[in-house]
Amino acid sequence: MIQLKTMLNCIDNSGAAIVECAMVVGQKRHASIGDRIVVVVQKQRGAQAEGMSASGTGAKVKRGDIRHAVVVRTRQKVTRRDGSCIKFDDNACVLINKAGDPIGSRINGVVGQELRKKKWSRILSMAPMQA
Amino acid sequence: MNVAAPLARRPLGCLKASLRQVRQQRGFFRQMASAVSTTTAAPSTPAAEPALDFYKQIDRKTKKLRTAFAVYPTALAAGSPAVPTATTDPVPALHKAQIAKLDPTGVRTAMFAKTRDAAKVGDVLMVTHRRGGEPFAGVLLSIRRAGIDSAILLRNTLGKVGVEMWYKIYNRNVAGIEIVKRRKKRARRARLTYMRQPKHDMGSVEELVFAWKKSRQVFSTSKGGAKKAAAAKRK
Repeated sequence: MIQLKTMLNCIDNSGAAIVECAMVVGQKRHASIGDRIVVVVQKQRGAQAEGMSASGTGAKVKRGDIRHAVVVRTRQKVTRRDGSCIKFDDNACVLINKAGDPIGSRINGVVGQELRKKKWSRILSMAPMQA
Repeated sequence: MNVAAPLARRPLGCLKASLRQVRQQRGFFRQMASAVSTTTAAPSTPAAEPALDFYKQIDRKTKKLRTAFAVYPTALAAGSPAVPTATTDPVPALHKAQIAKLDPTGVRTAMFAKTRDAAKVGDVLMVTHRRGGEPFAGVLLSIRRAGIDSAILLRNTLGKVGVEMWYKIYNRNVAGIEIVKRRKKRARRARLTYMRQPKHDMGSVEELVFAWKKSRQVFSTSKGGAKKAAAAKRK
């Protein structure tokens, strides 16, 4: 249940560590896995990691930036079609640009399989594992 | 009301007279309105029928109003001595039938029955999906026993993040559930929700699964044998 003011972990190498949800895009209810949100970057990653990512991608985000993101993990249970449920221990997202391409070049951490249904195959292929 | 046929041959002025006639007759027609078009419903005695038998509702499939004259036979009307007294609860029977259908061999039921050999909370289980994908292994935190809806809750840590999954045990997509490691001592709780706390969290069960897979390979004689054994276990 990602809504206004929800704090999420950012699990890509875009340079953001913690972001705050500012809006859910395209729907009037809370966001779940695979939904697009607008976030404000609240905390940046540590200095040396930031430097690496900045030199690697050139798409560094700063504190206070407003970006789009895709939710990839939620604390709230997500029910699948066959009745199984998945629940993560944290809320996490991946930053994207307006076109829908990820800003970072890699993701570290597990992502939900609902991304496939919501057509986020780029993010799924970047993720090291999916559950 | 056979007005239309002669009307064709007469001047328009006659319409007035015939309409007047119709107006006068309307009251009379209303009284005999039951003959509208209920072809099947015999002119049964409506006074004798109980009001229960009148169903005035829209049929979901045809989207038409069901005729209020349809009379459905009740036990009382059919002449049986009394309504059947032995009222059995239909829900357990339904669950039983569905379980028999989805688990003909009874392996899944036996796995989570309250017996000595069954899986218990605290055990480490591995669930294999029919759709492929990586099998999910984790500690069994709780068993929700609810007939055909029975489900298990597994918890694991994948890349520093705790992941919990509910699986329906009678789900056909669940190709197999295997016990990776049993808990040494019986858990004294029915639901081990305390294992979510960092103090009690078991962490990743990856090593346990790895060791179990290795031991399984040692015991099996050949690759085919191992596969067969796995298949047998997965029913």
